[in-house]
Amino acid sequence: MIAFIGRRFSAMIFVLVSISILVFLIFFATPGVDPAARIAGRNADQQTLMQVRHSFELDKPLPVRYLSMMRHLFISRDLTSYVNRGAKVIPQLSQAIPATLSLVIGAAIIWLLFGITFGVLAASSKRKWLDPTISFLGIVGVSLPVFWLGEVVNLVTQSKLHTSVFRWVPPLGYVGLSVNPWQWFLHLIFPWLTLAVLYAGIYVRVLRSEILVVMSEDYIKTERAKGASEKRILYKHATRMSLITIVSLFGLDFGALVGGYALLTEVVFGIQGVGKLTFDSLQNFDLPVIMATVMYASFFVVFMNAVVDVLYAVLDPRVRRA
Amino acid sequence: MRRSFRLAIPTFLSALLVASMLAGGGAATAAGTGMAPYDPTHAGGTVTLVAAAAAGSLDPKINYTAEYWELYQASYDGLLGFKYGDGKSSFEIVPDLATALPVMSNGGKTLTFTLRSGIKFSNGAPLTVADVKASFERIFKVSSPTAGSFYNGIVGADACLKVPATCKLDKGVVVDPKKSSIVINLVAPDETITSKLAVPHAVINPASAPVKDAGTTPIPTTGPYMFKSYDPNKLLVMVRNPYFKEWSHDAQPQGYPAEIDYKFGVTPTAQVTAVENNQANWVYDPIPADRLNEIGTKYASQVHVNSLTAMWYLPMNTNLAPFNNVKARQAVNYAIDRAAMVKIFGGSQLAAPVCSFLPPSFPGHVDYCGYTKGATPDKPAKAWAAPDLALAKSLVKQSGTAGQAVGIVVSDDDVNKQMGVYLQSVLNSIGYKATVKPISGNIQFTYIQNTKNKVQISVSQWYQDYPAASDFLNVLLGCASFTPNSDSSINMAGYCNKPFDAQMQKAMGFGITNPAAGNTLWGQLDQQVMKDAPVAVAFTPKQLDFVSSGTKNYHFSLQYKMFISQLQTK
Amino acid sequence: MALKENSEAIFSESPGKIALRTLRKDKRALFSLAILGFIVAISLLAPIYSHFIAHTDPFNSTLDATTTIGGKVVPVLEPSTTGLGLGVTPIGPTWNLRGYFLGADGQGRDVLARLLYGGRNTLFIGLSAGIICIVLALLIGVVAGYRKGWIDAVLSRLLDVIWAFPVYLLAISLSVVLLTSGLTIGFIHIGPGSFALPIFIIGIVYIPYVARPIRAQVLALREREFVRAAVGIGAKDSTIIFREILPNIVPSILVFIPIIVALCMLTESALSFLSIGVQPPQASWGTIINDGLALLYTRPLVGIAPGLLIVLTAASLNLYGDAVRDALDPKTRARGDA
Repeated sequence: MIAFIGRRFSAMIFVLVSISILVFLIFFATPGVDPAARIAGRNADQQTLMQVRHSFELDKPLPVRYLSMMRHLFISRDLTSYVNRGAKVIPQLSQAIPATLSLVIGAAIIWLLFGITFGVLAASSKRKWLDPTISFLGIVGVSLPVFWLGEVVNLVTQSKLHTSVFRWVPPLGYVGLSVNPWQWFLHLIFPWLTLAVLYAGIYVRVLRSEILVVMSEDYIKTERAKGASEKRILYKHATRMSLITIVSLFGLDFGALVGGYALLTEVVFGIQGVGKLTFDSLQNFDLPVIMATVMYASFFVVFMNAVVDVLYAVLDPRVRRA
Repeated sequence: MRRSFRLAIPTFLSALLVASMLAGGGAATAAGTGMAPYDPTHAGGTVTLVAAAAAGSLDPKINYTAEYWELYQASYDGLLGFKYGDGKSSFEIVPDLATALPVMSNGGKTLTFTLRSGIKFSNGAPLTVADVKASFERIFKVSSPTAGSFYNGIVGADACLKVPATCKLDKGVVVDPKKSSIVINLVAPDETITSKLAVPHAVINPASAPVKDAGTTPIPTTGPYMFKSYDPNKLLVMVRNPYFKEWSHDAQPQGYPAEIDYKFGVTPTAQVTAVENNQANWVYDPIPADRLNEIGTKYASQVHVNSLTAMWYLPMNTNLAPFNNVKARQAVNYAIDRAAMVKIFGGSQLAAPVCSFLPPSFPGHVDYCGYTKGATPDKPAKAWAAPDLALAKSLVKQSGTAGQAVGIVVSDDDVNKQMGVYLQSVLNSIGYKATVKPISGNIQFTYIQNTKNKVQISVSQWYQDYPAASDFLNVLLGCASFTPNSDSSINMAGYCNKPFDAQMQKAMGFGITNPAAGNTLWGQLDQQVMKDAPVAVAFTPKQLDFVSSGTKNYHFSLQYKMFISQLQTK
Repeated sequence: MALKENSEAIFSESPGKIALRTLRKDKRALFSLAILGFIVAISLLAPIYSHFIAHTDPFNSTLDATTTIGGKVVPVLEPSTTGLGLGVTPIGPTWNLRGYFLGADGQGRDVLARLLYGGRNTLFIGLSAGIICIVLALLIGVVAGYRKGWIDAVLSRLLDVIWAFPVYLLAISLSVVLLTSGLTIGFIHIGPGSFALPIFIIGIVYIPYVARPIRAQVLALREREFVRAAVGIGAKDSTIIFREILPNIVPSILVFIPIIVALCMLTESALSFLSIGVQPPQASWGTIINDGLALLYTRPLVGIAPGLLIVLTAASLNLYGDAVRDALDPKTRARGDA
């Protein structure tokens, strides 16, 4: 088991290193991204351009530049942006994390609440219309483009109905929890709902079908034959078993979102989180920031992946040999 | 930076213009004369500005963006400054940290200043002549963008450009602490030197300021405001400088707001909404097209529209097919419907079609258009009226370039992309196979400059540095501005015409001795070069400022746009 | 092999036939197919609409066009005449199929005609990307699961890299390369503005999503008696894969297809939102949303209509996917017992 975990985590490092190299190479292979002229300023003379190129080590060979960037990012931790010169990358990232966490945790609470309640309801309700209705809503949820939904929500709450129903909605952006908890809540309520719609849809659908699968397993039939009540079977066995799937799914989704995969939601609602930082740095072709956010995001994604794999290995020894 | 960042640097020329206007006394548009006296009853409150993105380093020797130069006006000072005033008077150069305009000697090669006494930096340290000398050396030590173009004429600058780290201007900037005097020595006379000394790259920082780009760390100021904190992803905060006392109402008047907050990361449409709802005082980014009608009707009293001397134009690569053929370039000039492009920009209130290279009301500008229906470059009309597609088509046929592929490189923001899509439609209709290539606005400007990228035609903007024809014609079409394989080669057309270049040198020579003759020549050169059509000029844009209902005392500077320190919220 | 036949022998019909019969009776399947059919049909009829009904070219800018409403000639792009006269607003919906049914966009083009043409591109990209994704995922999943050992290790890490890789960076960088010079890989040349870019990127992104469960399934199948038996009698790998493994993962694949195609369509619209993907003047629903966002406050329908079409199409695909899954997997059908 220890060996498996060891292998899994060394693989993780390998993946992170490959991603950083790929990002680096792709960046410098893109035509027109050479930051020297953008740093030097408009119509800078060729000598100034050369000095800037030299001071940012852009005249060194690629491998040297790569190693130097990694050293500044991980060892001396003083990597600075190409665009906002002097802005250290790591503090930018750590300042963006609370906003992303606020967004993702709030949305997760909403989607888990809706996902689990309606998932169980859909799988168990005696009312004939309930399951198709919930399933239909779930399908709509997973079929909505998030950024489009966000823009439509903004149109309604910030403009069309802002003078009447949605007078209380604050302008777009983010207010820290410690600054003003009530404003924090008001600023985040629509981003939460928008982000949660997609995941609630997914979780309803997954949970419903998982419960139905478990319900048809032999041991449930045995329980039923033993005379256990349907309610007991549903909650004690089926839901609990299905939650294992939900927990591992949640691990992956949460890891990805904390890593900045809520990019579009953050952009549309102007929340200065990791996703927005990634988006802005991509727009600016600001490699140091891109590198830091990508490393941060991939770490979470790969790490949660590895954790889920290890958990599965614990549950199912066959996987370990693979 | 979506909005182009060219800034204005007036020269003696504009000073002369103002002088002649005032002297003539017939100026109907009464050139404003400075700000009203300071009224303490309106002082206080916070002014909140909103922008989509920060503009990079806060270092005044590095930053070269309109976004921050607007702020430096209220915080940093040079020996000279631009006057706080309306209209043309905002182009006037006035003594700022110096007691008076420089005394010129040695045939214009030596400028002598006296430093004002009793001024302190925002950290409490007194301002001395040593700070002045260090600040000029710092221009080179930090590789300021204009080090090689504005300040290369100072004695000793050539060595500083080669080896910035050890830059010493002992002969170029001579100071005497006892007399508080500063003598600047130039290699050759330069009629634009006072302008260059008045822009933020020449402001005075403490000698202790870091000898590298200070980045996000604020450098102490001398003006009414100082920078308290700066996070490029969130917020820039300016507060009152406790050591500031007004020394010249024209150069650096006391400001009204107690604090100025600049919020970043707000989309343009959210900026507009915030100002409408009184949650912010002013919108930095251009107003989105779908909000223009709304603010022009419901919020008309909060809108300020001012003319700019600038142009939107299409540089055509004169070294690449099909635009290495003059007929192909003329065809584009005939084909584009400038009124349609004005529509995309926001309508006739926000821009005007032109086809001359020098913008209207610019020195040297002549009202003419060689590329409108019924006109030719040799027999131009007075103004642009309509496109001539039939003529354009036949020119393309004559040129033998019909059917060739043409790529149009534009920024990927909405307005520029729309221009590209429109242009594609036009080029297709006159016989090309055109494609639009929208690329990130952050790299488009440098991308289209580099010959390696083989850009055939693009959409770009140019805002004046200073109101002198040379800033348009010589900078954009001079041989010296064309450097193959460099990202910094502002002559995007790659146009290098030796006889034309020689004529431009002659016109610049006139600038020192006989500006009127110079401008007549520039006007002829404009028409002459447009026969060759290295670019197609589309229209001249205007600046639209949208402020909240509680924001008063709006004044517009031709140099730095809105005077932020003069805004009143009380 | 005998064992597998055995498992089928329980039924009098093959499972495929049963599934098909169930699917035919499933109202959800019929309903979603009807909607999909309708959307595909109107998209294919786009040229008919634009040439014969609306008489418009949806790829040509007509900034000075006019149209007739109620006998009055009005400009399609109307400069504001109220207040300060700022801004130019495209014509709103005329609700008349003869022209500008849903209004015009910022270039004075008929939005409905563009929506129909855009539908073709969106569906084409979604479907192609989905197919590329599933084919590659099948290949990777089967090889990794069947071969095990170091091949599996390498392929699994590759999937990890794809999974954690910043898609948008890849997309933005590639689009700059592609837009400006085109891309040549070996014999394949992708020209500027080609659809190959969005298809390729979107297809790759979802490979791990499909390949991982397939790999797990193949790993499990490999331990099953009938595969071991086949290995035991010395059958060739290709025979085992094609005759024993693949037939058993076909149901999963069939379930994945509609879901992945829906996901690919949604991703296409997200990439278009970031101005990567289908290039102007071509349209896809994603790019029309993007154009519409610039008109959201004056002509919200331009952005809302393509979004609704995406939702409708993606929901139909997902609904169909549900029906296929239920038909193929008797376990979830057992819901009636609960």
